Amino acid sequence: MSETTSNENDYGFLIDASRCIDCRACLVACSVQNETPMETTRIWIKETGVTGQFPDLERYSAPYHCMHCEDPSCLSACTVGALQKGENGIVTYDQDRCIGCRYCMYACPFQVPNYEWKQQLPLIVKCDMCISRLGEGESEPACAATCPTDAIIFGRKSEMLAEAHRRIEENPGKYIDHVYGEHENGGTATFYVSPAPFEDLGFPSAGEMSPAYSNRLVTHGTPTVAGAVAVGLSSIYLTIKHHEEAMEALKNGSTHEADNAADEETQVAAQEAA
Amino acid sequence: MSSTTITRREFLKIAGASLGALAVGQMLPIKVAEAARRAGMLDINGNGYIPTMCEMCVWRCGVRAKVKDGRVVKLEGNPEHPHSLGHLCARGQSGLMNTYDPDRVLTPLIRVGQRGEGKFREASWEEALDLAASKMQEIKDKYGPEAMVFSSTHNLSQVQFENLLNAYGSPNYGTQRSLCFNAMIVANQMTYGLEEPFRNYDGLKYLILTGRNLMEAISTSETSILSHAIDKGLKVVYIDPRFTKTAAKATDWCAIRPGTDLAFHLALLNVIISEDRYNHDFVEKYTVGFDQLAAEVENYTPEWAAPITDIKADVIRRIAREFSDAAPYAMAHNGWRTSNFENSFQTQRAIACLNALVGNWGIHLLPAAAEGAGLGAPPQPPYPRASAMRLDGVPWKYPLVPFKLGVFQELRDAIIAEQPYKAHGWFIARQNPVQSLPDRNKTLAAMSKMDFIAVVDIFLNDTAWFADVVLPEASYLERYDPLNVVGDLAFIRQPVIQPQGEAKSALWIYKELGKRLGLEDYFQYIDEEDYLRQQLAPLGMTLEEVRQKGYARLSGGSDEVEFTWNTPSGKVELFSGTLDNAGFNALPTWEEPPRPSAGKFYLLTGKVGRHTQFGTQNNQLLRKYQDEPRLWMNPVSAKALGLQDNDLVKVTSAVGEVNIQLWVTQAIRSDCVYLTPGYGHLSKGLTTGYGVGASDSVLHVTFTDPISGSQALTQTFVSVTAA
Repeated sequence: MSETTSNENDYGFLIDASRCIDCRACLVACSVQNETPMETTRIWIKETGVTGQFPDLERYSAPYHCMHCEDPSCLSACTVGALQKGENGIVTYDQDRCIGCRYCMYACPFQVPNYEWKQQLPLIVKCDMCISRLGEGESEPACAATCPTDAIIFGRKSEMLAEAHRRIEENPGKYIDHVYGEHENGGTATFYVSPAPFEDLGFPSAGEMSPAYSNRLVTHGTPTVAGAVAVGLSSIYLTIKHHEEAMEALKNGSTHEADNAADEETQVAAQEAA
Repeated sequence: MSSTTITRREFLKIAGASLGALAVGQMLPIKVAEAARRAGMLDINGNGYIPTMCEMCVWRCGVRAKVKDGRVVKLEGNPEHPHSLGHLCARGQSGLMNTYDPDRVLTPLIRVGQRGEGKFREASWEEALDLAASKMQEIKDKYGPEAMVFSSTHNLSQVQFENLLNAYGSPNYGTQRSLCFNAMIVANQMTYGLEEPFRNYDGLKYLILTGRNLMEAISTSETSILSHAIDKGLKVVYIDPRFTKTAAKATDWCAIRPGTDLAFHLALLNVIISEDRYNHDFVEKYTVGFDQLAAEVENYTPEWAAPITDIKADVIRRIAREFSDAAPYAMAHNGWRTSNFENSFQTQRAIACLNALVGNWGIHLLPAAAEGAGLGAPPQPPYPRASAMRLDGVPWKYPLVPFKLGVFQELRDAIIAEQPYKAHGWFIARQNPVQSLPDRNKTLAAMSKMDFIAVVDIFLNDTAWFADVVLPEASYLERYDPLNVVGDLAFIRQPVIQPQGEAKSALWIYKELGKRLGLEDYFQYIDEEDYLRQQLAPLGMTLEEVRQKGYARLSGGSDEVEFTWNTPSGKVELFSGTLDNAGFNALPTWEEPPRPSAGKFYLLTGKVGRHTQFGTQNNQLLRKYQDEPRLWMNPVSAKALGLQDNDLVKVTSAVGEVNIQLWVTQAIRSDCVYLTPGYGHLSKGLTTGYGVGASDSVLHVTFTDPISGSQALTQTFVSVTAA
């Protein structure tokens, strides 16, 4: 069902909210490295804000960028192949192919692709693990390289995931027992560990199934730009519906059931749309 | 002249060719790139990495600057530099925006309008330097060298700035030191006979941070090391009236009442002595005055300190016990900008004594490397004797304040009152006293008394806005500075791109001014490279080797002499005879700080991770990712005042008022407000920073500690109303 391309050479990130100090060195480093226009960004800080009652307070934050999903929803929503999953599992963006339709923005359950709203010929802006930088022989993307507290580390995806579980297991009580990104949206290459619940950090509660599957039901077999709008809108509808239902079910307490329910619904919807 | 330094003739040619700030790098004959290519740092196309040092704050991280087609395109932390450990903070990462800021001043400017109108005309270096030198000479001839005030802030070329002022013969020197760390330095000198020890976190188990907000006032390596130590189980007690990002990482956050850090530390001393928890061996062998200290702190019990500090007695007792249980792997951190209240000097003395009692010297506190040790220097004739009284009151009002530190904030009263004599000129380099000194109106009043003001900077900063002549300096990515010693390595700052426009290094500017003032014998270097070659001469390394490697290893170290404390007794002085002789308390003693009257708040200051003082608000990359500066207020206080989040409020102190938006947050005590420092720029030459936020220097009242000369920055109280 999934078109997972995960292999042992895939890269991944591990981001630890217990180490992030919200200094934003990663944000600036990313902007410089990728010459990102001033009004947009490839990377944000998600934060809990100051929580609790004085003087029993807490505060956590974590940098947030493309998760590099195993089965990327953005890719499946893109009708012109501007988004691709590359060799090391990196989800790349080709500006020469992009027609600026922004379907990928709606498709991504993590709300990652950004848009150069103020540019005359706007492009999508998203993390590509600094693929050109890695090609120049640097060992890490700009964000991970500069992080003063090593809150972002980068390496083989399998090692990042193992390290995430090691941190949780070896520090009982320090982190919540959830590696965000391991199962979200069918699995990603960006793993988070955090002492605070991910909802409190403002992370979307993506289901465990990528809507890419249902998107493909409509995008496959329509390679020309001609029907792109209708196709894209269907994909968006499916994605949003999937997402909303997963969220609703989560509120009601059962992640697993939510996924199943959402999955069934989207399949029905997909058939209707087709 | 060496081939990589442009001659005057070449320079004029270049200046004529340069049109736009951003394009200049590509248009210049790329001399820097040529030299870098010869040294193997850049490839045939001019691409590669050049090692240098950051100057976005004073920590000076090692940098690998990526250069492409004559432009610097990315900065990386240099893993070989102990201050960066391969990382850079947000400011360090934004450094090329500082160099390529469209607001850079790239040609000398001479004022044409009224002071403060911001009207200047472009001038040649010849004209600007001749004008500055002739005014300075005229003041010296008419009124004596003391009529010229010099001021500059912590930088690597400061040694040649000081050379210029000493050769000129003025005793009047203002630095940032009294606004920052005088309390710590004088206390360490009185106790340990040194300015500041090097802090070693290896094996540390327990740390007390007194307002040292390392996760926001970032020193890259120390922040990194602390973060990893916390991860490995280091216990951190963090004392601050604000819940900062460091508080969020600490084991204990104590929301202490401002001004009472001293009471907290005295109570720690009390518990450690009364419960016999101190290191007897260290105290007996290496300290003097233990019995007097024990007697002095006898009554400073945790129960005494609790109502003063708002920290529960059992918490203070627990911290004292945990701290001494962890000894000698325990450390009380001095802090950074340690001047908060007039009693901050006593707090620093108490911290110094606390470290001595747990015997952590040689383990976590180590002697720091002397500046410039082992390096050569250009030969210098003796300086003229400066016999006039200093306008800042050192030593006639402030007997224990070292000349080097001074009491900058006190200069202005003397200038305004023209007592003990009238000052006529002010030469300011790499400093912005309009924003840095407390009570901005007083600073502006002092400046208005001057016949002549010259400023050296890369921007038209708020002080340059009021200058008669502005001399544009090359940015830290465009110039050499003297070498910087860290441990047994001397690091280089070198140009990674050609200076844009007509910007010149400070070493060049001071030498050219010196020449015109008839002081050329004091500047015995041909150019920047010759200066560095003279520094490197004793090491047997060539400049080319150091440029490529990024540092030189200092020789020696094999025949180390045993360390002795440079105090009168040669020991750690818990009881300071020097303080006693000067008529001050020889032991750390409680001094009651003033408290705000009803309806007023303590005005807190403290850094944010995106900015360095008032020098970076114009950086577009930092602006992109900064929080809008707001006034922090606890919801209890906001409710009592009928104020809500984001309301525009008026903040009023005894000397000024500002308007700013409110941030209602639990992260601050209800008797305090906090204003992000460095904003509220006056200069319209800072097009990104102008008009953003409010300046805390408008509000700060001048309070000077009589012992260390520190400006007490948190002793200002304010009222807050709807604007």
